Amino acid sequence: MDIDLILRNSGALFDGAKITLAITFVGAVIAIVGGSAICAMRISSVGALRVFARAYILFFRVTPEVILIFWAYYCIPLIFATTVSGFWSGTVVLGLIGAAYLAEIFRAGIQAVPQGQKEAAEALGLRAFPKWSFVILPQALKLVIAPLVNYFSEFLKNTTLLSAIGVMDLTLQAYLLGGQTYQYITFLSAIAIIYFAMIFPVTLYARHLEARLSNRSTRPTSWRGFGFRRRSTQDIVSKA
Amino acid sequence: MIDYDFLRSLDFTVAWTYLPALLSGLLTNILLTGIGFFCGGIVVGTLLALANLSSRRIIRWPALGFVEFWRSTPLLVQAIWVHFAVPSLTGIATTPFESASIALIFNVAAYCSEIIRGGILGVGKGQFEAAKALGMRAFATWHKVILPQAIRLMLPPLVGTTISIFKATAILSVLAINDLLRAASRLSTFTFQPVEIYTTAALLAFVVGLCISVLGYLAERALKKRGAYGH
Repeated sequence: MDIDLILRNSGALFDGAKITLAITFVGAVIAIVGGSAICAMRISSVGALRVFARAYILFFRVTPEVILIFWAYYCIPLIFATTVSGFWSGTVVLGLIGAAYLAEIFRAGIQAVPQGQKEAAEALGLRAFPKWSFVILPQALKLVIAPLVNYFSEFLKNTTLLSAIGVMDLTLQAYLLGGQTYQYITFLSAIAIIYFAMIFPVTLYARHLEARLSNRSTRPTSWRGFGFRRRSTQDIVSKA
Repeated sequence: MIDYDFLRSLDFTVAWTYLPALLSGLLTNILLTGIGFFCGGIVVGTLLALANLSSRRIIRWPALGFVEFWRSTPLLVQAIWVHFAVPSLTGIATTPFESASIALIFNVAAYCSEIIRGGILGVGKGQFEAAKALGMRAFATWHKVILPQAIRLMLPPLVGTTISIFKATAILSVLAINDLLRAASRLSTFTFQPVEIYTTAALLAFVVGLCISVLGYLAERALKKRGAYGH
């Protein structure tokens, strides 16, 4: 591997890495907002919304991402008679796919909050807003954080797909540099290492969070809250 | 905002005309999914899982490094890398399909080895010890005690992985394999009707993905009925 060649072209690779991170952040925002909305529909009491959310989740989970990205890139400009950049069409599609996954992650978190918590909130006469924002969601959020971080390591991998529609991300930059210098292996190996350096820490962090959560939940807490000490949310979650 | 005149002008007969080309592309995707699942997931994945479970560090650590590296890099990069690196490292020129298969097999193997390892570890040490205490030989221990329980644990994540493999095969079209996406993009430049072609392609892919998830659901239910779930 020719380190010198990589260093000489590090500017272009850095530009590519910036685009990759931009896709990740914008896509993450869309995925979190969209995922929350789809999750709310999925657990709503309105049947039509539930059916829509289930169909949405099913469709985006089983259809290949690249085909959807190509569809959006070539079809949306025609259907809406506008121009859309590859960056925006691709990022929005990745965000919508992410929303389907995150909706399921959020739902699993909410359902893992014991039913008694909901009943207790209702027994205390809490209305919908305080019940959700002070009782259920804070507990659900703790359970959701590890799979959420884990999903973003997947998301970071999916950003490479945008290079197929000409977004100048890290992969496409490396591929073009490889074409210019006929040193494909050098540049492709370099970005493989860069991707690994970006994704692996995220995976490790997700595992760390997961381990911490499962350690807490195995801790014997049944007798610790005895008496009048106010029990923390974590103790309540861990009894689930 | 929506261009209704354009929507009215859509003519899906073009998709019907070229359906055979799209279907033959789809068949390539299904074939690659099968290669990925059986060669990668089951064969190489099991070997990697066993290497990861080995008590010898010299076997365990390289296997661990391999799994972590293939799991933490994007398949697109892996596929292009394999396509350029294998010919120059080994001197054997691979066709795009072969390069894609190699990348897919290793990628899937890395993911599946974790599932298989998790399934085997999930069975619990007590089961091994109980089998040993009963005087069962290695084959009987694995065949009668460990695997039936491990498969029960592995099946749900394996179904999810199979859907992921199918979705991943579409990525491999960057290597110029005649898969669904490549067929669709060639047809759309040829017919100038991208909306009809890409919509049909997306729907076809969705149907296959749906079939895989339904099959997985049926397999899980069948396993439950056969009593593999321990009751």
